[in-house]
Amino acid sequence: MDGIRVGKRVIGSQSPVTIGWENIPKVEGGPVKQFVFTWFQPAALFALLAFWYYAPNSIAKASTGIAIGIGFKLLLLALEWVNPRYDSWRLTWKELITDLFYVGLGYTLLRMVDTYIGDGAMIEAMQQSFNWDKLAWFMALPLLVQAFLISFMFDFGQYWMHRGMHNWYPLWLTHAPHHYITQLNINKGAVGNPIELFLIGLGIGGFFDFLPRAALLAGTLGLTVSIYQHINVRFNTPRWWRFLFNTTEHHSVHHSQDYEATRSNYAGTWIIIDRMFGTCVDGEAELLGMEGGRRMSVGETMTYPFTEGWKTIKERFGRSGSSSASEPISVPAE
Amino acid sequence: MNLRFIDWIWHIRGSLTLVPEQSSEEAFDRLDPLFRQRGTSHERTYDTLTFRKKAQAPQDKMSIFDDGVLRIEKGEGGSVLRYNLTSRALLLCFLAPLLFLGFAQLTIVMGNQKSSTEASDKAKKEEKKEPELKLNPIDKFLGAPEPEKPKKDDKKKGKDKDKDKDDEKDDKPSPTPAYVFAAIFATLYIVGRILEDWLIKRLFRRKLAGS
Repeated sequence: MDGIRVGKRVIGSQSPVTIGWENIPKVEGGPVKQFVFTWFQPAALFALLAFWYYAPNSIAKASTGIAIGIGFKLLLLALEWVNPRYDSWRLTWKELITDLFYVGLGYTLLRMVDTYIGDGAMIEAMQQSFNWDKLAWFMALPLLVQAFLISFMFDFGQYWMHRGMHNWYPLWLTHAPHHYITQLNINKGAVGNPIELFLIGLGIGGFFDFLPRAALLAGTLGLTVSIYQHINVRFNTPRWWRFLFNTTEHHSVHHSQDYEATRSNYAGTWIIIDRMFGTCVDGEAELLGMEGGRRMSVGETMTYPFTEGWKTIKERFGRSGSSSASEPISVPAE
Repeated sequence: MNLRFIDWIWHIRGSLTLVPEQSSEEAFDRLDPLFRQRGTSHERTYDTLTFRKKAQAPQDKMSIFDDGVLRIEKGEGGSVLRYNLTSRALLLCFLAPLLFLGFAQLTIVMGNQKSSTEASDKAKKEEKKEPELKLNPIDKFLGAPEPEKPKKDDKKKGKDKDKDKDDEKDDKPSPTPAYVFAAIFATLYIVGRILEDWLIKRLFRRKLAGS
């Protein structure tokens, strides 16, 4: 496999990756289907932004946001059924329950940990002692500007955390299990080691809960943009959208079996951050995963950072490991 | 205890009548591609096929099963394929509600501990300060609703005692999501047990028919 040169690197030399929007297939079918799968993403974004902008205070609450989030995910699952991007990514019963197990962990155990030692606890402590006058200028900005800044700052932090995970071995150990997924479906974003999910969840997002409407608007950007990272739906994504926002196409390149391809498209919502730092690759891939597509079990996902970390420590510092001491066993995003 | 009474939880058994002219060898030949998948090993004798799967890909049509035996028996009405397949996924899905009920209990216990420590700290702690929000003129022009006044103002007016109680409750993590997930997994187990039974029968039937 030759691969294609993108900037200074060659993408697709180990596993097929399609490079360039002009080479990505379009939605097939009648005019109604074409229309729906061309305009669905922008329509959902603007409809939900308008909803949160105008909803009365009694409705504009986090609980409404959670309900909308669940409803929206169910709708997207239906879209996966109607118009899959790849048949090989079709959701099976086993994949559904596996994904939901990780989603369940996020809503229960991780949320509890977060409340006591994660950003939930830190933010509460910060807010207690914060001098609000310092943020008066921010609170005086128009709501949509506030929402954009909250979303962009949060994603900027996530970009560097994610990029760090692909470049620093201890962090990579926590992120590697997520890269063993071999297909993208709506709940696949939750699949991974809980330590990684805890780390990636750390951020300033929750700090802005004193601006409920702006925080909900910012959350909507996550719900109606970031969610498409892991989805098996073929869209005719508008040009301006894919320039600004992350898409399932970008994220499939990031999950490709090709090593160089995985070192791209780190942002969650704003792919423009990748463009700013030269890590964006426009394209798509079907063959995903690590080790040629080996599926990692739930048990291994839970223990991987510890078992792999232990193996590496033994290799490096153990009595018999001197010859291969410089080679870590698991290389970031291979 | 005889496992036969409970192993239907993670076993799927069934049978299919072969067409009269189909031999055991021909039937297994037709099923053979199903066992030539990544992570699958299998052994074949004249009338029995045993397989084992490890780290099976989601794209594998039999990914839900970890091992199993397929046997062709000759009966009065012709040959019959009988299968007995084992699925760890079914077993874990069956047990998942118990895990989430456990999480619910843990949430309650941790919540009680938190509220008792908070009650003792409460006297020392100041009220959570909240800034007063004003709407930007652009938002006012576009018709966005005015933000709510900070809660302490309401408190001064002596209005929202019940609301404060609710807020206190909200501080504790709720066990409700854990109960919801327990119910989801219980439902999905029933769906999966019926669906996968039907799907594997359909898959074997189609393969045996040569489609």
